[in-house]
Parts: sequence; C-alpha cells; structure tokens
Amino acid sequence: MDNFAAQRVRKAVDCVFARTVSRLKRYRAICERRTDLDNRSAVAGQHAAKRCKCAVHEAEIKLAPEMYDRLFSMHGITMIFWYASPILTGFSVYLVPLMAGARDIAYPRLNSFTYWSYLFSGILLYVGPLIGQSPHAGWFSYMPYTNIVYSPTHGMDFYAIALIFLGISTTGGAINFIITILRFRAPGMAISKMPLFLYSTLTISCTIIFAMPALTLACIFMELERRWGMHFFGVASGGSPLLWQQLFWFFGHPWVYVIFLPATGMVSMIIPVFSRRPIVGYTYVALSTILTGLVGFSVWLHHMFTVGMSDLTMSFFSAGSMMISVFTTVTIFAWLATVWKGRPIATTSMLYALGSVALLVIGGLSGVVTGIIPVDWQLHNTYYVVAHIHYVLIGANVFPVFAGLYYWLPKMTGRMMNERLGKWSFWVMFIGFNIGFFPMHIVGLMGMPRRIYTYSSALGLQPMNELMTYGAFILGIGILLSIINLFYSLRRGALAGNNPWNSDGLEWAMSSPPPSYEVVHIPSVSTRHPLWDDFDEAEDSDDERVLSNARLTITSSLLDAEPLAAASMANLTLVPMFLALALFGLFLALVFKLLWLCLAAVIVTFLLGCYWLWPRPIKGEL
Amino acid sequence: MSSIAQPLVTQAEPHTGAWPLETNRGIYAVYSVIATEGTLFICLFASYYFLGADKYRWSIDAPPKLMKAFLMLAILISSSLVMMWGERMVKRAEYAHARAAVLITILMGLVFLGVQASEYKDHWKTLTPFMDSYGSIFYTITTFHAAHVIMGILMLGYLAVLPKYGPTKLPPHRPYRVVSLYWHFVDVIWVFVVLLLYIIPHFQVYGF
Repeated sequence: MDNFAAQRVRKAVDCVFARTVSRLKRYRAICERRTDLDNRSAVAGQHAAKRCKCAVHEAEIKLAPEMYDRLFSMHGITMIFWYASPILTGFSVYLVPLMAGARDIAYPRLNSFTYWSYLFSGILLYVGPLIGQSPHAGWFSYMPYTNIVYSPTHGMDFYAIALIFLGISTTGGAINFIITILRFRAPGMAISKMPLFLYSTLTISCTIIFAMPALTLACIFMELERRWGMHFFGVASGGSPLLWQQLFWFFGHPWVYVIFLPATGMVSMIIPVFSRRPIVGYTYVALSTILTGLVGFSVWLHHMFTVGMSDLTMSFFSAGSMMISVFTTVTIFAWLATVWKGRPIATTSMLYALGSVALLVIGGLSGVVTGIIPVDWQLHNTYYVVAHIHYVLIGANVFPVFAGLYYWLPKMTGRMMNERLGKWSFWVMFIGFNIGFFPMHIVGLMGMPRRIYTYSSALGLQPMNELMTYGAFILGIGILLSIINLFYSLRRGALAGNNPWNSDGLEWAMSSPPPSYEVVHIPSVSTRHPLWDDFDEAEDSDDERVLSNARLTITSSLLDAEPLAAASMANLTLVPMFLALALFGLFLALVFKLLWLCLAAVIVTFLLGCYWLWPRPIKGEL
Repeated sequence: MSSIAQPLVTQAEPHTGAWPLETNRGIYAVYSVIATEGTLFICLFASYYFLGADKYRWSIDAPPKLMKAFLMLAILISSSLVMMWGERMVKRAEYAHARAAVLITILMGLVFLGVQASEYKDHWKTLTPFMDSYGSIFYTITTFHAAHVIMGILMLGYLAVLPKYGPTKLPPHRPYRVVSLYWHFVDVIWVFVVLLLYIIPHFQVYGF
C-alpha cells in the first residue's frame, strides 16, 4: 500500500516535471525574442522547476542530476547576464536621452548594434541547450570543473563565447551612455542638476568599461584551454585554477553593482515623485552612487575567502565590502527621509519602490554578515548565500524594475496600468517572494549546501523546502498578474496624457508615447526639477534650439552644460543588424572551430564596418 | 539599407543653423575603446604575473632574446611618428602627404607582422603554446597584440581608400585622428609587452 502511494507520488512528480521542463523550453525560446516581462516569467518557470526539484527529497525522478545542473546554470547565466543588466540598459536606452533632453543617444547606430548583438548573443547561448549541450557549472563556471575532461560537450564553449559576444554589446552600450550623459545634456542641466538615474547609469557605464575586459579574457582563456590545447588553469602544467576565479570576480563584483545601481537610480527617481518633494540629500546620494561604483572594484576577493589567502588580504577586502554598505545605507536613509518629510501616495509604483527598499535592507544586512570572514567560512556555498543573492537581485533589481514599469510604461505606451491589479500583483509578489526566499537563510544556517539536486530526508529540511516551493509559485502568480495587467492596459488602460504622475523630469514634458524622433525643440533647464519649478522651455525667442532642418541635437559642456555645438545624427539603417549577424556567424563558427568560416565572417564584418562608416549624405527630416 | 520608402529631402550637408558642428564624437568613442582595450591588456599582464607568482622562475632555460623585439619596437614607434606627421599634414591641408603617411604606416605594420612571424619561428624551436602555462601566456599576449596590429592595419586600410580627409560636415568627421589614436595605442602596448615579457625576465634569476 505504502509502496503504491509512493509510486503514485513519483508519477505525479514526473508528470509535473515533464510539463515544467517543456514549458521551460518554450519560455527559453520566447524570452530571447520577446520583451523583458517574458524574461521574468522564464525566471519564475526556472525557479519553479528548481524548487520542485528540491521539495522532493531523494525521489526517483526522471530529471537526472545533470539536468538539474543545467537548469540552475542556465537560470543563473540567463538572469545575471541576459536579464538583470540588459533590462536596466533597456530602461537607460529609452530614458537617458529623454531625461537629458537630447534628441537621441550619442551613437544611434552603435545603439542599434548593441541591441542586435545582445539578442544574437542570447540566441547563441541558447543554441547549446537546444542541441542538448548546455552549460552546467553555474553562472561562475569555476575551473577545472569546466575543463574539457569534465565537460566534454560544447556547453561551456557556448557559455564562454556567448559571453564574449555579450561583452561587445555591453561595452558598446556603456560607451554610448557615457558620451550621451557627459556631452548631450540639455543646455543648463549642469552636473549638479542631473537626474539621479543619469548618475547611476554613468557610474555603471564607467564600471563596465573597466570590468568587462576581465570577463572577456577569462572566457578567452577558458576557450583556449578547452579547445586549443593551451594551459592556464591546470596545476600540472604550471597554471592555476585561481586565475579563473581572480579574473571572473574582478569582473563579477563590479557587475553586481552594474545590475544594482541603475535600479537604485530608478527608486531615487520614483520615491520623491510619490512623496511629493525633492529627494533628501541629493548630493550624498549622487556621491554614494559614484563611490559604490569605485569601491566596487576593491571587494572582489570576498567571493574567495575560502580559497586561502593572507589575513591582511582578507581583512582589506572584508573592510572594502563593509564600506560599500555605508554608501548603500546613505542612499536608503535618503529615501526614508524623503518619504518621512513628504506626503507619500501609495501608488503601485511607490509600493514596489518601498518594497524594494525593505528587501534591499534584508539583502544588504545578510551581505554584511557574509562579509565577515569567519562567518563567511561557515556560510560559503550554503543556501544562505542563495538567499542573499536573491534578496539583493530581486529586491534591488526586479522590484525596482516593476516600480519603473508601472511608473514609465504610461510614458512608453500612452496608457495607464491598472492600479488595482497592480497592487494585487505587488502584494502577491512581495509575500510570495518572502515565503520563497526567507527560509533559505534558515536552511542555509542549518547547513544545506546550494546546488544539490537532492538531500537526505533525515536532515529535516523538507518542510522548509516545500514552503519555499509554494513561495516560488506564489511569486510567479504575482508576476503573471502584472503581465496580464500589461496586456489589459495596452488595450483598455486610461489615456496617460503628458504627465500623469505630476513628475518633475524632462521626460514627462513630452507627449505619451513620445514622437519617434523625440523633441525638435531642445529644452533648457535651470533647476533639478524642471517640471516642478520654472521650466523655461518657452524662453527661446529666436528659436535657436529648434533643430528642425535635419537630424541634429545640441551638445553641451561637461560640467555646466553650456550649449556648444550641434551634432548630426545618423540615418536609419539596418547595417548594424547585419554586422551583429556576421559576428553571430563568427562566434558560432568559433564554437565548432570552423576556421575558414571564421575568416569569412571576419572579412564580412570588416566590409560591413567600412560600409557602415562610409561618409554619406545626412537626410533631412522634414 | 536606409528606409528608401520615406519621402526624405536629401541634403548634401546638414544645415546646423547658428551652431557650429560637433566633430569630436569619434574621438570620445576611440578614447573609450582605448580605455577598455587597455584594461584588457592590463588583465593579460596581470595574468602573466599571477601565473608566475607561485614559481621560482618560468620553465624556460633562457629569457626571450631581445634583438627582434627591439627591432619591432623601433618599427612601431617610427610608424607612430609617421602617423603624427600625417596628422600634421591633414591640419595643413596637404592631403596627398597625409595619404602617403597612411600607406607608409600600413607597410610598416606589415613589416612588423613579418618580423613577428620570424620571431615566432625562432621561438617555436624551444617554446610552443601547448607546453605549459608560460608558453600559453607568452603566445597569447603577443598574439593578442598582433591581432590589434591587424585591426589597426584594417582601419588604416579603410583610411587609405577614404575619399576625403579635410573638414567635412558628414560623419565620420575626423577619421584620421581616430585611426591614428588607435594606432598609437597599439604601439604603446608593444612598449609594455617588450618591457614585461622580454626585458624584465633578463633581470630575474636567469642572469645576464
């Protein structure tokens, strides 16, 4: 009888798994092509699959341990590299020119290229799982486990090469943002009057410039070691597996701030608007944003406290990690003071922003805990760390992104999101997330390691794990409500008008959605809150800033934003897409070492580059 | 490629009204590229030292020979001087001279690659990238640099066929300056490669 019941449970689990996995595959295909909302349903699916797996201890199920490794690896890689930063880049691409009052981003064709190369690199990554050769070593892929001996399929090659490709895209985007923010701000928007979102985007763009090469190099080394017979990581041939860890985390920790700072920038834009007052301590928030990016370069060894190093080194990096929390705390207290001193309104967007603050505090505190060296030795590689990363990334990336979506989608689509459904979505997500992830702290402290596909029933971990699985599903339902809300609002939502939230930023002076080539009249700014204060858009008696005769925008000086010159913008073109496609061919050929194809792709890339850069007449707009 | 269907008024040059034309965007971009690529080389050098840090010395009997590396250094530095001369010619509007400078620089770059090939041939007798970590990192760094030289030569090739160097209102506004900045960067990197990979090992335990 007992046996029979067990068999039925197994069958049921098998069935759920088969369905989840097939759904997951569909999600994977979708999330590369569709918008970011879909991306988050993929994370929910992957979470659900992972959680299902852990809830059933020692079960005989068809999902082999290798499959579990692939699932959590693809989950981590997709979320860290292809979701968390790109979605913020998406916001930045849309909002930076609008907020800066420029007519377009500094290099429009490069912008197009970074989008297409992002898309194609994601497709390249997912070619692997589709042909059954998936990365399987987590998102940080430590050597020597990823060496050819232990990983003979092409899975890790797809990982390494897709990341190199993505690095090109990310670097291009960063260059674009830096130049746009430094030189393309509207006249009068001095560096002391920039919206805080521009500060965070500028900081992370500089971070990317100096952090990305380390990852690119690590991936090149991995590829050379795996497929070209060179030696970097094998101790027997004079290499060191720690080289991978050093390079990866030199990139990896600054990257944490890349996927965190723009989100805090968004919260710094949203909380003041719904508190109906300017942010408290603007200067301190701006400075702590920059300092976080800077000090973020001196904390990477805290990921490696367990590998063995001198006390002095560890102390230095522990102190660096602690220092970051001071900057984050300054920002958090500025937000709290803003709410305290203002007259807060509980819109959905505000709820998400405040929820994000709460979760960020929990994630930040568990980060301080893991920054303490002896505690880290105990907690390393346990579920505690999983709880920490998810509180930071969901608290300080996903929740701000939802806050940003509810806040800026009316600008993008011209229609308001449904507030009632939005608040439901928020509360379901908030409760589901905490049920799903808070117990991870506890099971982590109890000693449950991360990345295990099963565990002994004697450990008493099952009730907690079951609870977490329910939480993950509740979180997924909450996200689903927002997706439904999006499609409902696209059709039925109330018209937004120019400035539905009575906000202060330049982007709200535009019609919703903004015309495709944005402003013809470049605005001029004299305060930090142009729409709340005296907005001298009209004070341009000679129509000097009306640039209607061609695709032009105004460039201004670095600090004071004195208008200097007019910059011409490129024509509409598809060449960047073809260039990204040629690079896709190059990298796909590299995975399989088809050298003649590589050479052909390089030549095509070069010729397309020449065609792209060839001087040709600028077309007038009107 | 561009949207032909739209009824656009074609203008030969953008009419900027009262504003002077912004021409420095390419310069900003190339400086950014240099920053990120420079970091890539710093990471490469850091890897070289990281791999060497846990060893008494590299597993080679003698440090790399200096002659050809110095010859290559001389070629690259003089090619940078040629490019600087070319930039001055552009400023003076002597475009034929400027184009000659580009062609000479391409030639010098090719000679550099030729010398490097013969240097590799010498090296290959005692050291291959497949032997150990030293061979791997040595060949990776030098090949990375060679790849950047090839990239530079391709950019110079584009510059060589570009119809007009003078002040233009059409982007790219200052291609000559952009390409020569990149070329100078590639040359400076070789200075560091020679210093770190060729000269400094001579002062280590191998003895002179």
